[in-house]
This record gives sequence, C-alpha cells and structure tokens, in this order.
Amino acid sequence: MSIGTEPGPIGATTDLLSVEDLVVHFPIRRGLVVERTVGHVRAVDGVSLGIAAGRTYGLVGESGCGKTTFGRAVLRLEEPTGGRVRLDGTEVTGLRSDRLRRFRSRMQMVFQDPLGSLNPRHNVDMLLAEPLKVHGVGSRSEQRRLAIETLDAVGLPSSVLERYPHEFSGGQRQRLGIARALMLRPDLVICDEPVSALDVSIQAQVMNLLEQLQGEFNLTYLVIAHDLAVVRHMSDRVGVMYLGNLVEEADSEAIYDDPRHPYTKALLSAVPQPDPEAEADRERIILKGDLPSPADPPSGCRFRTRCPWAADICAEEVPVWREVGDGHRVACHFDL
Amino acid sequence: MALLEVEDLRVSFGETRAVDGVDFQVDEGQVVGLVGESGCGKSVTSLAIMGLLPRRAASVAGAARYDGVDLFSLPRGEMRRLRGPDLAMVFQDPLSSLNPVVQIGRQITEVLERHRGMRGEAARKEAVHLLDRVGIPDPARRLGEYPHQLSGGMRQRVLIAISVACAPRLLIADEPTTALDVTIQAQILELLKDLVDSEGTALLMITHDLGVVAGLCDEVNVLYSGRVVESAPARDLFARPTHPYTVGLLNSIPRLDLPIHEPLRPIRGSIADVIGWNDGCAFAPRCDRVAEECVAGEPPLIGAAHMHRCVRAEEVA
Repeated sequence: MSIGTEPGPIGATTDLLSVEDLVVHFPIRRGLVVERTVGHVRAVDGVSLGIAAGRTYGLVGESGCGKTTFGRAVLRLEEPTGGRVRLDGTEVTGLRSDRLRRFRSRMQMVFQDPLGSLNPRHNVDMLLAEPLKVHGVGSRSEQRRLAIETLDAVGLPSSVLERYPHEFSGGQRQRLGIARALMLRPDLVICDEPVSALDVSIQAQVMNLLEQLQGEFNLTYLVIAHDLAVVRHMSDRVGVMYLGNLVEEADSEAIYDDPRHPYTKALLSAVPQPDPEAEADRERIILKGDLPSPADPPSGCRFRTRCPWAADICAEEVPVWREVGDGHRVACHFDL
Repeated sequence: MALLEVEDLRVSFGETRAVDGVDFQVDEGQVVGLVGESGCGKSVTSLAIMGLLPRRAASVAGAARYDGVDLFSLPRGEMRRLRGPDLAMVFQDPLSSLNPVVQIGRQITEVLERHRGMRGEAARKEAVHLLDRVGIPDPARRLGEYPHQLSGGMRQRVLIAISVACAPRLLIADEPTTALDVTIQAQILELLKDLVDSEGTALLMITHDLGVVAGLCDEVNVLYSGRVVESAPARDLFARPTHPYTVGLLNSIPRLDLPIHEPLRPIRGSIADVIGWNDGCAFAPRCDRVAEECVAGEPPLIGAAHMHRCVRAEEVA
C-alpha cells in the first residue's frame, strides 16, 4: 500500500473497470484581467475502485461529495488531474482524442435529467441514431432496425420514433435516455442518479428495467446516487463517498447489515423507512452542521468535523484503509 | 372540534380539476400527512387553505374551516391577520421563499413587528432566540447575512424560524426536506418533531415520501388524482394498506430490509393515463384489480377510522 487513501490491491484481472487513485481538482480562479489560480476544489481526491464484469457498483454520497465528478472523470467527460482508469485492459486515461472518441462506444452514460440530456429538436429516431452516426455504425436502415430493437428492450413501442422528447412523461424520457446509452451496445454504463427525478411508482419501473437490461445486454453498471435504498437494491458492491474520498466499501448486504464508518452509520440511520414501528424504535445519528468546503477540507480525517466519535488523532492523521471483513474496507481510526 | 376541517375542497384551473373533493381534518397538536406523487393535488390543497392561489386562475370551492371559521369566505385583511399567529407555511425551496436582497435578521424581525408588535432591540433579541431555537450556530452573526450565504439546510431552518416566529397553531409544511440531503433532512425532521412536541403546534405535512410520513405523522391521507383514496392512522395505514394505490406505492419503495436485486412490484403506467378519465375510479387504468364496478361510477370513501375509496378493497386485502 503506497498512500493512505488507496484501498489495498485493486485492479484484479477479472475487473472490467479499474480505477486507481483518481484525482479531479478544479482550479479556483480570481482576477478580471490577469487570472490567477487561488486554490483548488478537490472534487475527487484519490479514489480507487474496481468493478467486475456484469456486476453493479453503487457509489453513494450526498451533494458535493464528488460522486458525479468521479463518474464523469471515468468517461473523461471531465479531465482527471491524476490517477488511472482502465476498462477491459485499455488505459482510458492514456487515450488521445481520436482513439478516446472511438473507445467511448464501450462506455456510456445515463443522466439524471432526461429532458436536459435529450435534444428537444430531435425526434426519437434522430436521437437514437445519433450515437451510431458518430461512430459510423450501420446503414440508415440498420440504424433504424437497431433503434426499434432497443426501444422494444426498454419497453417503448416503435411508434414513438417520430415523436419529440417533450411529448413523453418523465419515466418514458428516462427510458429514452437508457435506450440512447444502449444504442452502441456498451460494456459499461454509468448511471448518474438514474431515478432521482422520478415519482416513486415510476422509479421502481425504471429500476426494474435497468436490472433486466443488465442481463439482456451483459452490462456492467456504475450506479451513482444519493439514495441509499436505491443503491443498495441495485448494487452488488457499494462505496460510500464523503468530500472527495471513499470512506467505506463492502458488498451490498454487508454495508447495510454491518456499517463500520461513522458516516455510513449516520447515512443509514437518516433514511426514513416506510414503517412507523421501525421509525419509532430506530436510533438516529444526527450529524452536526453541513459539509465543509471541498476547497479547504479538514486535516486528517475529512469527516471529523461532523463525526460524533471524533478524537484528537482524527485531526492529525489521515485514516488508512483497514480490512474489517471479506472485501469490506473502511477508512476510520476506530473500530466501531 | 377540529383545528382545521377541510370539506369537499375543489380547485380547478380552467378545465383541469387539480383537487376534486378532498376532505380531511387536523386536530390541535396533531401531525397529519398528505401524501402522493406529482400532480395528485397535495400542494394545491395547501395553497388553497392558505389563500395563496391566484384568484383569477384558480376557482376554489368547498370549505376549509379553521377554528370553525371558513377561511374561504374571510375578507383578505382578516386572512392576512391569521397568517403568522395562527397559520404558517414552510415551502420546499427556501431560496425562492426568502428575499435575496434582505438580510436574514430583517426578514425575521419584519414578522415580529407586524404580528407581535416588537420593535428594535427586543425584536432583534427575539430573532436571535428564534435562530438559536432552530439550531443555527452563532445566530447573532447570521442576522446580518443574506440567503445566498447560507447552505440549503440553514435556509430551511431560517424559513422554519420565520414560520414559528408567532408560535402558529397550525404549521403547513410543503415538502420541507425534499431539496435536502438525507443527513440534513434528518436534522430538519427532528426539528419539526421537536416543535410539535414542545409547542403543541399542529402540523400538516405534505410529502411524496412515505418514509417521512411513517416517522412523523399521526394520521395519513393518501391522495391520487385530486382525491383522498385512503385515510387512516399512520400505524394502521402501513400495517394494513387497503387501497391498491397505497399498496402499489409501498411495493414500489426499495426498502433497506428487502433482499437486494429482488424485482420491485411497481404500479403500471403513469399518471398521464388518467388524463381525460372521467368515469369511475381514477386509479382504474393503472389498477391490477380493476373490475366492471370500478368504471361504473366514482367509488365513495368508506370506513370509519380507516377509510378507503375502493369497491374491491376486501379482495385486495
């Protein structure tokens, strides 16, 4: 283990995606005439994780923890400041523009806001054919056939081809967003808050759909969400992020049955459950205050300013990763 | 007598019936939930009660009796006097409910001056006390700050401080935690609970989140397409959900205690399927139990403590 933030050996040969010590810093610039860099927002500050082929990794955390930036940096929609991303043996972080563009056909993204990510002036036919055109896949008639096939897979009839995004409901639009991501038959799909803009009953439909498509198209998912219940339900492994760092990583069941990091414990205790009996008995961990600024994170453990268990050591030393069970790692000084 | 009694409330915007005959009541010190998905009419119901709907666009019928007085027939001045000391509201988005160019302190003292006749130093002191009460650290310094300088959770606390400045008897909270992160949501829910317990404020909680309802509410009304489809004490509703819509909502929620990857059992279709549906039960186009009697006519709300609007409820249960 080289540095404190790296969770032990990663990038096992079976992993489809392996991310090593990924760093994304955004410069803060000041000055009207001469721009000076006065600091950095450490959005992602050394995150490593691996996802096995055909599996789902859930990345969970609250606003500002860097989870979306992480997802975008994996696809190089955001240029990483440091670290390595490998997909199926190819180093994505080393690809030059042209090869990167071609390689992107293997990794696609589903966005939170389907209306914002679909061109309002394009009908469904154009929207779905676009990724194929960009990558020069198939003739016009083949493109149409693929579009119809993909629409069918996401549960939309071929009659919607001539319609425009505004004519659809939120759930249908998300189905379109998913269909578009699948058009190139990628290996990896990064879903950034795929259901958080949807009503509960529609959310469940889309979650079921994503699970069903995973088997059908042999997909590997990185699901990024703030909702622990959603992430737990869809994922095999879960990583919890706080202020640019992973703080705990474990198999889905383990992280909920036996959370070890105080932040994970607090998050879990904060999710309201639709069960009055359980709500009455539950022990809530109410965190103090708000998220500190990622431009000036606290020394030592970044969670210490809000942690109920914080002690002197937490301000002085960055906690190193500890194995606490089979594939269960936590970055905390204490054994809670 | 109930503190607030809403009877056959109907709100329409032109041809669109947003609220279509809603009845419920809130007793003194009680927490009542109005729960439903987008477009079910829950927010419109709360705005109608507060008299905040645009008069030209919305036509409001029915009654909302506060302490026996019908709010809808009250002159505007009278209504304005009630807002604050009697009825107060917390909105979903605190940034658009706070004035961006006025300091936090001034926004609180304004309410104190208007409704409690406090001036100068006394008002300032009370404002500090209120901010402290809702858990804002270093309240004296915060008085001079503007809304954009505060985080989302802090803004929501300021809004709650303003709402409770006059110790209202009924607080209406419209999705007060929806825009917030879960750990901040937990802080705000704790604060609301504490206000209800210590001040005896009645709370009408409007939310889409059945989890929030389960932790907070005494009574729950489930809304669908502008109508109450089920109404029951919270424990009863979650233990024995009766209307197929309530059952469907509960089955749609990924719970922390369910096995992972197990397919959820969502409600089919979407609310859009109901547009233009005028006969019978509004849920019929999406209901798995739909039968002929469901489309024959609008089912009535039946039952005593646990009411529901489904002709096939016995079979569903």
